Amino acid sequence: MIALVRALGIRTLDRLASLGDASMMWVIAMFGLPRRGDFALLVRQIYHVGVLSLVIIVLSAFSIGAVIALQFYTQLSRFGAEDAVGLGLALVLLRELGPVVTALLFAGRAGSEITAEIGLMKSTEQLSSMEMMGVDPLHRIVAPRLWAGLLCMPLLAAIFNVVAIYGGSVVAVQWLGSDPGSFWAGMQDAVELWEDVGKGSIKSVVFAVVVTWIAVYQGYDTVPTAEGIGLATTRTVVMSSVMVLALDFLLTLGMYGDFK
Amino acid sequence: MRPFCHSGSAALPDDAFIEIHDLHFSRGDRKIFDGLSMCIPRGRITGIMGPSGTGKTTLLKIIGGQVRPDAGQVIVDGKDVCRLSRDELFELRKDIGMLFQSSALFTDLTVYENVAFPLRVHTELPEDSIRDLVLMKLNAVGLRGARDLYPSELSGGMARRVALARAIALDPTLLMYDEPFTGQDPISMGVLVTLIKNLNRALRTTAVVVSHDIHETSSIADKLYIISDGRVIGKGSPEELKQAESAWVQQFMHGSPDGPVPFHYPADDLKFDVLGGSTR
Repeated sequence: MIALVRALGIRTLDRLASLGDASMMWVIAMFGLPRRGDFALLVRQIYHVGVLSLVIIVLSAFSIGAVIALQFYTQLSRFGAEDAVGLGLALVLLRELGPVVTALLFAGRAGSEITAEIGLMKSTEQLSSMEMMGVDPLHRIVAPRLWAGLLCMPLLAAIFNVVAIYGGSVVAVQWLGSDPGSFWAGMQDAVELWEDVGKGSIKSVVFAVVVTWIAVYQGYDTVPTAEGIGLATTRTVVMSSVMVLALDFLLTLGMYGDFK
Repeated sequence: MRPFCHSGSAALPDDAFIEIHDLHFSRGDRKIFDGLSMCIPRGRITGIMGPSGTGKTTLLKIIGGQVRPDAGQVIVDGKDVCRLSRDELFELRKDIGMLFQSSALFTDLTVYENVAFPLRVHTELPEDSIRDLVLMKLNAVGLRGARDLYPSELSGGMARRVALARAIALDPTLLMYDEPFTGQDPISMGVLVTLIKNLNRALRTTAVVVSHDIHETSSIADKLYIISDGRVIGKGSPEELKQAESAWVQQFMHGSPDGPVPFHYPADDLKFDVLGGSTR
């Protein structure tokens, strides 16, 4: 029993120490003074984590929008309410699926790439050599990735929403024959700038911070072996996904939580 | 007044560039350094030798402030490395060049860009001057023609020479070489030995060479340290060490398998292990 408590205590202390390290890393990297050449590094990372994620975001968004529209149309048409497909589609995407699915896809594509890249740099002593040259890897390697993730994910979520709504309109309006006027007008009436677009964007920003933070820390803290990098990459995707889903619940509760 | 290095040799009463006092460091339960003390003279070449796994690379990392010791003092150019803030440490390292055992080249940059990296980050030099400097450094290691190659296209020995060109790009005051001669053909080896010697003589660079190559290291080092079991077991000029009476030093300098320096990593008795006493 004592051994169990002790093991639990050691594990808890380890986790707290890791959280402390990760927090220090985030603060030092995010709030370091900008230096010459930082903008070029940021643009390069925006290309890597943002532009290269566009294909998967666009393809997934179109499919998800199409599927939601199909499901809504099938159910709502039983009550003669197919005009509400556009409204439902927009609300579901802007409030929930846009930020959440974008974050999950981002974790799988860009997050895993960031972890593997930094982990490999660590295992080949590139980070050490940078430190010995008087260049802080937190500034040179970590900061551009954190900022790029923070800037790109809300934009990717916005693109996701637009493409998914277009995918939904293709299915509902062009394929199943919903009235286009009702489809778009219902959406226009129901969607509010702050309640739906604004709060959805806040979710995106929170997810961006969490996912890129996890990805970068897992890479930076990886055991510098092939197995270590593999495990770190897996942990990035799993931890990011769980955190995104858990935070989504908490944020929804906090922002829309007048459920009495 | 700056303390002096007492090497045991009358020829080397230089002032100290690096002083290490009573260094203790462990990895898990294994003691790497157990009260190690040494003194690296300014402007000289100091060789650090010892059996594999004695912590020579770790010692370089401790000197560079990348690894913090459990106890002891490490003073580099008058600054206590263990007490420096993060920013002060990075400032100090701008004056240190280190050649890593694994070369540690940036894999997404070409040979040229690798060598230009410290110049771009730490100087305001125009591109023309950077180009001239990079080509001169690459020429010194015989790889000017390989400037457009990526590290993945280089052999191990070539990568190490590029890493050396990068380490000397800023003409640092302290150069630490971790196994610089490993994987070099005889011609490259000769060039490297001369290069390290010339850098030291021309720029008065303080050099620390960690190596197993007794012959090459002895030929350029002004002072040698032999470490084993976490302590210094021998120190002095190469000539002094060759004449040393210590069985530890003699075994290492002559590469004998038998002697007080253990060849085996600590383990149970072979008979006990083989005849089933051990579970693994």
